[in-house]
Amino acid sequence: MSVRQGYEAGAGGRMSRPRLFLWHRAVRSEIVLSGLVWLVILFFIVYPVAFLVLDSFRIANTGQLGFHNYKAFFSDLYYLNTFLRTCLLSGLVLLVTTALSLPLAYILARYKLRGMTFFTALTLLPIVLPAYAGAFAWVVFFGRFGTFNLLLMRWGLISKPLNLLGFPGLVLMQSLHLLPFMVLSLMAAYSSIDPALEEAAEVEGASGIRRFLTITLPLSTPSYFAGAVLVFLWPFTDWLTPLIFGVTDLLPTIAYINIAYHFTDVTRRYMGIVSVVIASLVCVGSFLLLKTWIERKRYTGLSKGTLLGGRTIRPRLAIRIISYLYVVFISMLILIIPVVLALSGFSRRWVLTPLPRYWTLENFQLIFTEAGRLVYNSFRFSGVALLMGVFFGLLMAYLLARTKAPGRAGLEFVNSLMLVFPGVAVGVAFLRAFWYGHGIPLATHWIIMPLALFVRRLPYFLRMAYAAYQQLDPSLEEAAEVAGAGKLRTFMTISIPLLLKGIFVGIIMFFIMAFQEISTAIFLYRGGWETLPIGLYLNWHRGMEFGIASAMAFLMVCVVFILLIIAAKIGGGILKVAWGASGRD
Amino acid sequence: MSFVEVQDLVKHFRTKYGVVTAVDHVSFGIDKGELVTLLGPSGCGKTTTLRCIAGLERPDSGDVLIEGRPMFGQGFVPPSRRNIGMVFQNYAVWPHMTVAANVAYGLKIARVPRALRMQRVREVLELVGLAGLEERYPAQLSGGQQQRVALARALVRQPKVLLLDEPLSNLDAKLREKMRFEIRRIVKQLGITAVYVTHDQAEAMVLSDRIAVMESGRIVQMGSPKEIYHRPATRFVADFIGTTNILEGRVEQVNKEQGLVSVITEIGRTLCRLPNPIPVPTDTSVCLSVRPEDVEVLTHCSELQTNTYQGRVVERAYLGHLLYLFISVGGTQLRVQCHPRLQVEEGQEVYVYLDPERCVILTS
Repeated sequence: MSVRQGYEAGAGGRMSRPRLFLWHRAVRSEIVLSGLVWLVILFFIVYPVAFLVLDSFRIANTGQLGFHNYKAFFSDLYYLNTFLRTCLLSGLVLLVTTALSLPLAYILARYKLRGMTFFTALTLLPIVLPAYAGAFAWVVFFGRFGTFNLLLMRWGLISKPLNLLGFPGLVLMQSLHLLPFMVLSLMAAYSSIDPALEEAAEVEGASGIRRFLTITLPLSTPSYFAGAVLVFLWPFTDWLTPLIFGVTDLLPTIAYINIAYHFTDVTRRYMGIVSVVIASLVCVGSFLLLKTWIERKRYTGLSKGTLLGGRTIRPRLAIRIISYLYVVFISMLILIIPVVLALSGFSRRWVLTPLPRYWTLENFQLIFTEAGRLVYNSFRFSGVALLMGVFFGLLMAYLLARTKAPGRAGLEFVNSLMLVFPGVAVGVAFLRAFWYGHGIPLATHWIIMPLALFVRRLPYFLRMAYAAYQQLDPSLEEAAEVAGAGKLRTFMTISIPLLLKGIFVGIIMFFIMAFQEISTAIFLYRGGWETLPIGLYLNWHRGMEFGIASAMAFLMVCVVFILLIIAAKIGGGILKVAWGASGRD
Repeated sequence: MSFVEVQDLVKHFRTKYGVVTAVDHVSFGIDKGELVTLLGPSGCGKTTTLRCIAGLERPDSGDVLIEGRPMFGQGFVPPSRRNIGMVFQNYAVWPHMTVAANVAYGLKIARVPRALRMQRVREVLELVGLAGLEERYPAQLSGGQQQRVALARALVRQPKVLLLDEPLSNLDAKLREKMRFEIRRIVKQLGITAVYVTHDQAEAMVLSDRIAVMESGRIVQMGSPKEIYHRPATRFVADFIGTTNILEGRVEQVNKEQGLVSVITEIGRTLCRLPNPIPVPTDTSVCLSVRPEDVEVLTHCSELQTNTYQGRVVERAYLGHLLYLFISVGGTQLRVQCHPRLQVEEGQEVYVYLDPERCVILTS
């Protein structure tokens, strides 16, 4: 009876007393689970990142903390220039991407044209292709004595080869790589606008371009900015494409060079660390700005991320022809990547000719005989990372979608931050935090490789698992509980089977992303731990021999492509799958 | 003590706009074998109350007793241990299981032997009219059939209490009407205790032994459908259940011997039956409710008697089975239902008579 009295004693008063039942069994287990998740986050995300930030404030000689490094960074003209050039690159890339994607997305989302599904799939392909694969292909094709220049010279259109690499080439390459992210955001926006809104404008007398400018475009601004932020922060995270293009004075590249090659030079090391922290700040900052802005200004069902029908138009013949030409042009640029990689991979000594002369399987033989370890490592590390990812991803998705466990908002926040956090920063942070001397010496064991992949790629899996959970009606689970099933049994017999599709697509995307990861892994690998992307990079770097590197890249593209097709088959279309992968580095 | 006791239930929700009281000190009892409906507009707390009984929601205070056993007060009893059946608004039929597997799920958990399980599933599917569809998947069923699967699944374990959360709201009008009677037939045939949530008053009237009308988290009146309709306690109830005429006025005189109260209303002096439980002191303002079908229309009248008023037909609508009139009495419009053969035209002078027995005093 005392229980009951104590219980009633608190009943009459004011509100805000859901705490009364906080310690019931089910709730208690939720708290234990979320505690477990937070422990992992604290140890593998918060701790290394905090370590990195603290490190950037450390004064080299004395070991004390202060702003010395930052002052040195911004007062050194070279570093200041690096920062400004990165901003310039970001701006230009955003401009070019916007100009290319506004019409492209409109054509793909709105026009009822034959073969558009195929072109959509093709335009979105770079989302799953690693950026460095594209960069290699471009160097081969658009390099000083690449196919493009040679052909132009042969046809007598130019006398001297054009320099299509360098800074301008970099702008184009990165824009092309980011195009699908923007197209995807805009397509989602265009097709989630209620057709009635545009029809109403039409009835009021606005037609064509005016309707687009006054109704469609303003309604898609939140989506546009979501895509724009991803585009804008990419030059702050991509260090490899500039390196391949011969541009080194950019933040992430200088950070990589300083830390990977000049670690013993104390000044350069600290400048590298500061660069990483500044790049991360730009990424996180612009992401947070966007988040607050979108929350204030949400017109369409942005958060859903599903693609509804939207409005479709059958355009005039002239517009149809222009649309086709434009779509085919973009598709060609993208198709160059796998085609050139294949040509280069299956040939030897391809120089100074538009097409290779000697065909061979030697490169692939070499990969499998001498570098078989790389393939094995890639699968092993990605596989182990995947196991961890699925376990924690499902746990986190459950906590977020189905419980009132404290700190859920924080979980979601950390997860979305990890989506935009530069891979270089994670790599440096892990290196500093898990090396001997200062931190926990985890980096001496190979487990650090899958751990790093797990930390970097978890957000993609979580996003898909969470989305699947949100689409699952809670009453399906409640019905099981009412029928006598406990929480665990409900999870196993009802939730898991119904979530399977979303989870499976998430698993494949996780694997694709982990398989091609290089930004973090490049800092952590030691002899014998090289993965396929690292091997690819080292082969290019050591001998400037493109054959093997291209063969490796082609191999990766094939693996990714096969996985992507499986994912699309299961997940119900390339668009849904691509959505899950968007927002990556 | 009743079979199911809801005691002083309170539940708050935190939303973006602050704390909302969904259930505000709700108490009621349900006898064994009784079918009680929680009726009210959306957001009145009826579903939250039901979910507290199921254990899917935890109240901030108060308790639910099933067969005298507290469900919250002495440690939370999870839904899986309450032995209840529940039919969800959107059916919640598991799409990855066949009809038979859906229905057998709870029996499997209760470790009912296979032979008995199969027999029970067959029996209950027969009861809800789904015999022969055991191996179908939900995607191959119509909305009405999925509804029956949900009902069968809720009944198969012979639960102590059956909870139904707006089970018919996703069906089309024809089917909805048919299912009302069918659910009542099945529930009564099994003699099961049931709580039914709906916002559809016609559904509540057909189904229920008793109705609890809810408004902003509270029960405003509980009684048999007849009581609720003919003796509404408040203006909200009178308005929500069916249509009615509300006349505002002031108590002039109370005649306890005859059991009559005279009220000065907008249309004049009106006599009405003294409501039993509620004392009405002289000179308090009250509302009267008169149902449209309780207003008598007279085309001729030699002399104005008590509760007879002169008026004019403002609008007239012929609905086939009845005639619907708007009659203006001294500036107040009364809705009136009368026999379709009554000969009146728009603009015609008529007389209306309000039976004192049918004029209900409402507490406001």
